[in-house]
Amino acid sequence: MIVAENIWKLFPVQRDRLGFKEFLVNFPRYFNGNKRNFVALKGVSFEVKKGQCLGVIGRNGAGKSTLLSLLLGVMQPSRGSIEVRGRKVPLLALGAGFHPDLTGRENLLMNGILLGNTEKEMLEKMDAVIDFSELADFIDRPLRTYSSGMCMRLAFSVAINANPGVLLIDEILGVGDASFRKKSSGTLRKLIKAGVATVYVSHSMQTVKDICDRVIWLEHGEIRAEGEPNSVIEDYISTQC
Amino acid sequence: MDRRNRQKLDLLKLLIKKAITLKYKRTYLGIFWSLLNPLMTALIYFFAFKVIMRFQMEHYSLYLLSALFPWVWFSSSITLCTNVLTSNVSLIRKVIFPKHYLIISSIIGQLITLVCAIPILLGLAYYYGKTPGMSWIIGIPPLIILQFFIIYGVALAISIVNVYFRDMQHIVSVGLNLLFWMTPIIYPLEMIPEKYKTYLLLNPVAYLILSWRDVFLHNTLNWKGLFVSLVIAVIVLSLGIVVYRRLEKGLDEVL
Repeated sequence: MIVAENIWKLFPVQRDRLGFKEFLVNFPRYFNGNKRNFVALKGVSFEVKKGQCLGVIGRNGAGKSTLLSLLLGVMQPSRGSIEVRGRKVPLLALGAGFHPDLTGRENLLMNGILLGNTEKEMLEKMDAVIDFSELADFIDRPLRTYSSGMCMRLAFSVAINANPGVLLIDEILGVGDASFRKKSSGTLRKLIKAGVATVYVSHSMQTVKDICDRVIWLEHGEIRAEGEPNSVIEDYISTQC
Repeated sequence: MDRRNRQKLDLLKLLIKKAITLKYKRTYLGIFWSLLNPLMTALIYFFAFKVIMRFQMEHYSLYLLSALFPWVWFSSSITLCTNVLTSNVSLIRKVIFPKHYLIISSIIGQLITLVCAIPILLGLAYYYGKTPGMSWIIGIPPLIILQFFIIYGVALAISIVNVYFRDMQHIVSVGLNLLFWMTPIIYPLEMIPEKYKTYLLLNPVAYLILSWRDVFLHNTLNWKGLFVSLVIAVIVLSLGIVVYRRLEKGLDEVL
């Protein structure tokens, strides 16, 4: 279950560090450098119950990924509160912590433990994960020999088998071939039905319509619209182009 | 042990394993580089100081190596740890896990060199006619532990400061070079002029290195060295933890 209440996230505006030369030239200005903040999220609130999937749509830079990072806990909100119950499994980017020189199997183990499994649990699950990925033939080869689609399958397989209580997904189903895509969205739907709370960020409107039962539309860090996938997506599309 | 701690322990174990194995993946000589590298360095110093500058010293190779190997553990760990947070951005931004595990695993990964080198040092000592003694057995583990905590303390502070202030990595490389020449590694302690000797205390590794050398060269435990190193370890570690805790909070906004 996820409850987010009025969350704000501010980032200090990062410019290129003023070097030593600028320091000498602009001596006085260097110190009272106006510290401005970039506001990535301005008071966003929502709730996702068990068995629900919330879609998040919006243009690039609207704050979607920041929102996911906050839910995951790798970032702290500047204001507001977030409550997430259940084991959080992120699918933020393909295979965080994957190393090209390790084999598929070694990467699965590493990634599985990073996602909160113990080594023993992971070894027990290993066959199921490899099965799901359909990469049994390649599993003992180094990851650098994999295609990007294969990497993604590996990452997805380990994440979906990590007993998630909360799934945070950032644009992942877009990759992979048609058959795997179909399989993974089917498994995802089953997981959601079984009681996982999911937040799904995507630019693929079709997938959002397929999987999500509610959608929020972020614009400049604020919720512009919220509700039924079909109507929100229609409004969203009509304002683009 | 509950599940959560079990999982953390497994993660640390795996990170250590990764730190050790990845270092030599795709190389032909593999783990031998760990030894070859410092041995080659020692050969260069040996040539420069014994052959060219004609240091009049007995057992100079043992003298040099018994200090050089511990030093290499220190300097290579610090170098590696300076960038360990900045080079693992993708991991830190995508997964929640204790970030200091990255530091611990890097330090232990570098320890392997020293562990492999200890038999060489003992063999060399034996070759020079030193009789094996108890200090070989009871001296080495406490030295490793003390040095680990000194490295850990320094690495905690440096790694996190480097995230905010990238000039740190350049400062570190100059600083390590300075520290190397300030430590009696290739020259004996007696060569330092009397009036500078008191400043030796400012060097966090000098007494540690001297204690290492005493174990192999004189087969004795340097109690003073061990005690000073213990005090230094406590101070450095506390400072490291304070700095790390302070700066850890803003990490997500700058990394």
